[in-house]
Amino acid sequence: MSDTQPSYTPRHRVDVLMAEDSRIQAKMLEKRLVDAGHTVRWAINGQKAVELLKEKRPDIIVSDIEMPEMNGYEFCRIVKRDPSWQTIPLILLSSLSDPVDIIRGLEAGADNYVTKPYEADYLLGRMDSLLDTPLAPEPPDAGPGMEVTVAGQKFQVQAGRQQVLNLLVSIFENAVTKNKELIVSNQALSVARDSLQKANTELVAVNEKIERSNQRMTRDLNAAAKVQQSLLPAKAIEIPRASVAWKYVPCNELAGDFLNIFPLDDEHVGMFVVDVSGHGVPSSLLSVTIGAFLTNRVSDSSLLVKPGKDGGPPVVVPPAEVVTQLNNLFQADNQAGLYFTILYGVLHAPTGRLRFASGGHPPLLHVPRQGAWKLFEVESFPVGFVPDVEFTEETLQLEPGDRLFLYSDGVPEAMDANLEQMGNDRMTALVESLRGQPVDTVVTKLLEAVQAWCQPKGPLDDVSILGVEWQGT
Amino acid sequence: MSDAAFRRIEHSKQINAEIAKFRDKKILDETALDELRVELLRLINDRQGLNLLLDFSNVEFMSSAVLGLLGQIHRKMGTLKGKLKMCSIHPQIYEVFKLTNLNKLFSIHKDQAEALAKF
Repeated sequence: MSDTQPSYTPRHRVDVLMAEDSRIQAKMLEKRLVDAGHTVRWAINGQKAVELLKEKRPDIIVSDIEMPEMNGYEFCRIVKRDPSWQTIPLILLSSLSDPVDIIRGLEAGADNYVTKPYEADYLLGRMDSLLDTPLAPEPPDAGPGMEVTVAGQKFQVQAGRQQVLNLLVSIFENAVTKNKELIVSNQALSVARDSLQKANTELVAVNEKIERSNQRMTRDLNAAAKVQQSLLPAKAIEIPRASVAWKYVPCNELAGDFLNIFPLDDEHVGMFVVDVSGHGVPSSLLSVTIGAFLTNRVSDSSLLVKPGKDGGPPVVVPPAEVVTQLNNLFQADNQAGLYFTILYGVLHAPTGRLRFASGGHPPLLHVPRQGAWKLFEVESFPVGFVPDVEFTEETLQLEPGDRLFLYSDGVPEAMDANLEQMGNDRMTALVESLRGQPVDTVVTKLLEAVQAWCQPKGPLDDVSILGVEWQGT
Repeated sequence: MSDAAFRRIEHSKQINAEIAKFRDKKILDETALDELRVELLRLINDRQGLNLLLDFSNVEFMSSAVLGLLGQIHRKMGTLKGKLKMCSIHPQIYEVFKLTNLNKLFSIHKDQAEALAKF
């Protein structure tokens, strides 16, 4: 029963006998009936209802079916078999879950059915129409009535024609009500289906949008990767009096590493490996920015070669000054905490004299043509870490056939599946074992060793290797 | 601010300093690094003259990008006139500090007791 206030105003104000075992439902129904102007007496089961009948004859009876002691059918049968009570209209409140319920009601002689759950107004309307046409008393020789078989059960229906008619109408009305409810549910379902379809269409659209931005991002990444490639040496590097080889493998589309080697003027060769911390777009953007300053095109913005004064020859900037300048330009706090390491060397090709500076970079590996290899560790901070520091210059005199290896920490710090690092020892041992091989072979084998070390997942860091052999005068 | 507010660090207070102990065994990916950055800056909360000790005893592996974060915290503490110390750094990680010379920049100690005595 709904909780809304009744809007139906009954035509009859009568005395109602109500049989209902649920206290809550009885109270709710009683309130509606009293509000509508009826007087109400309530019995908790059929047995009690019979007692109340005996006290005073009501104008109409509303009875639940499922009740302890005496159920609705039994109570109805008693009412309808008693000549002094049989003309009192009786409404059964039923769940009508089974056709047999209808026959049981007929057999018991009920006048009307109201199916649960019901609207109070609906019940009040039913009561009115029953009270409109008073029931005629049944003639005493009514006979055995008719026998009906439903679902294999035989029922003896005693009800009079008016009762059957009333019951039929009420069942029809119930069916109409249920049908209306079904139509409403159907409409609701149809609305739900429509909104589902709409949501689905939206989902498809969102998916397409994601797919499009994914494609755009992939395009952008590829384009950015191409820009980064421009920081690397030209395909065929021609360096006087030296043979050069390099490898560069970013661990993602975009890298923080880059390297290059190129002539600065007729006699000097500049070479560097740069490793910007982190990976991805921020690191790669910073690497491209740094790269713009590390160019051998003579200009005021190049940190490597400045135009000569008064039209004189270009001036090669000493390595330590280059790194100091970079440190002044690229402080980590101005670039989201990103810093970088660099090893920058300038080789004087005619004499084999190397000047170099490091900004927190892994050591330079020197492999002389004869004699033991050496790692040149330079104590220095990474670039961008500490403002206003001076970087120092180191020098190294090469002999013909000597080799230099510059690399990023992706080589010695390459980690295997157990997070064990490849380490300087394995790196130098490999390079040592390849002494007789061309520098190109050494660089290739070193990269292969790093990749093999990082199986099965591959390197977690960018890997850069630059190998240079000075051939002498 | 309760300890539960931090996922990546364990925060505790001593008489003369506050300690942030890294919970992670490995600090390798960018997400972990970003979260650490946010949590450490939130802990520092622009407090002037804070004494902060970073305890690395749980950390066995970290990427060199973590050094960038440490540099950032170091500079931040400097502008706040606070003191930053680090302790219990795994030998392999200490190698990275040495390589980048940062063992000279940072104040690094053997363990909590030694570091706390030096504040």
